[in-house]
Amino acid sequence: MSAAGIYLRRRITNVGALIFGSLATALGLLFLVWILWVTISNGISSIHLNLFTKITAYADQGGLSNAIVGSLIMDLMALLICAPIGVMAGTYLAEYANRTRLGSSIRFLNDILLSAPSIVMGLFVYVIIVLPMSNMTHGNISFSGFAGGVALALIGLPVIVRTTDEMLQLVPGTLREAALSLGVPQWKLTVQVLIRAASSGILTGILLALARLAGETAPLLFTAFGNNFMTLHPLDKMASLPIAIYQYTNDPSPAMHSIAWAGALLITLFVLALSLLTRLLFSRKKVSYE
Amino acid sequence: MNDLAAAIAAPLADVQENTKIKVRDVHFYYSGFQALKGVSMDIPEKQVTAIIGPSGCGKSTLLRIFNRIYAIYPKLEATGTIELDGENILDPGYSMNRLRSKVGMVFQKPVPFPMTIFENVAYGIRHHEKLSKPVMADRVEQALRSAALWDEVKDKLKQNALGLSGGQQQRLCIARAIALKPEVLLLDEPTSALDPIATSRIEQLVEELKSEYTIVIVTHNMQQAARVSDCTGFMYIGELIEFGNTEKIFTKPDKKQTEDYITGRFG
Repeated sequence: MSAAGIYLRRRITNVGALIFGSLATALGLLFLVWILWVTISNGISSIHLNLFTKITAYADQGGLSNAIVGSLIMDLMALLICAPIGVMAGTYLAEYANRTRLGSSIRFLNDILLSAPSIVMGLFVYVIIVLPMSNMTHGNISFSGFAGGVALALIGLPVIVRTTDEMLQLVPGTLREAALSLGVPQWKLTVQVLIRAASSGILTGILLALARLAGETAPLLFTAFGNNFMTLHPLDKMASLPIAIYQYTNDPSPAMHSIAWAGALLITLFVLALSLLTRLLFSRKKVSYE
Repeated sequence: MNDLAAAIAAPLADVQENTKIKVRDVHFYYSGFQALKGVSMDIPEKQVTAIIGPSGCGKSTLLRIFNRIYAIYPKLEATGTIELDGENILDPGYSMNRLRSKVGMVFQKPVPFPMTIFENVAYGIRHHEKLSKPVMADRVEQALRSAALWDEVKDKLKQNALGLSGGQQQRLCIARAIALKPEVLLLDEPTSALDPIATSRIEQLVEELKSEYTIVIVTHNMQQAARVSDCTGFMYIGELIEFGNTEKIFTKPDKKQTEDYITGRFG
């Protein structure tokens, strides 16, 4: 084939690949925008003061205040449990067990946990926390916000382990050598140099985990259960936004549906705000080693 | 083997100074692969010793044995003896803390810690000595002055060190190493990631520092070795081919291989 022929063929292939790539992107974006649009257009009209001041017990005359508070409490509880454990486990994987057989096994198991169906987490916590508590207290305490928090923590944990592990591995090995060549011991190096060097990445992982667990419904079904009244006590049954949305959409009343839409919009906005915050954190610390 | 011993002994006669590091029959293995094959040399005190050779010849490997930084990785093994002031540092009983406070190292790529400029220098000192605030400030200033960086950073000691230029970062790394008041300074291709101006500043600095420190520099830049060093060792595939006075190595080397490398016939 002549040179001109080859060039022509390359141009055609290039244009073809460009068209297919653009179409695929457009298709993906279309659904994303569509979902956002449907959520916003349906939710925005139902957002008013009642939503934040009235509890779900008033049904279509009420709001979601107890569900909002419940969600915040359980998300925070989950974060308090999974962030320290996740960061420490990720640090262990990257700094102490990297390239060992044990390390790769743990990494593999963590990846399985990462993709495990969330309802399994709910059932697991039901069996190890809800049932034993119920048996011990003769049914006085069974479903609880605490159990919900633990179930959500199990969702967030593998995300944090994974990102911490990956972010620490991105820190150049020479930084480790430089600190060790000053005679600094391994633990000081890890805590004071490496985690600091990877801090924005680790923080991003924690916020991503929060964004992930904030929208989960299934782990809360058999753990926090739901509650039509306001409670701050972690051992009470606790309401949450995802469960409230789930229950309201099963109701025939259109008024309930619009409250559910408002709740969905609230969660979406919360996750959106978290994503923006992570972007902000990541872009501000642009000085890096590469 | 006798050849090698003779090759080492002859040029050593020119060097009158005290030996700081005495390397004898050092072999090194990367999980079975032999990277150094019986290296012996005497590194003179308060002079600059350059180690040159083509990529993969083992020059960095040799340098990394001098402070045992290789020991942080599994499956690496060094045999033979390396005496620092008469004590074998390869002896497992030799304290790592002591070794690392006596032997400082600067790496190929500048790697400041993610802290302020001041903290970068103070960080290593803190691990070895408890100093009061004014004494520490003094020590940091001294180190930064010795590294010819003080004038450029004295007004921004509280800024993040990652904001400095590459050349400044490398001088900060040198300051960080000399802040511990080591006796030996190991430089592993310290200018290969820097531009010519930054490179010449570092070379100037090496010249100034040798009055106080024994310096070993690994470089693949022969002109650099010729410019800054007093002694030069030429390595090839894990062996020290020739070691001696820099002028002699670069003008009339004893070995053909050295001459071929220096004149650019291979490498």
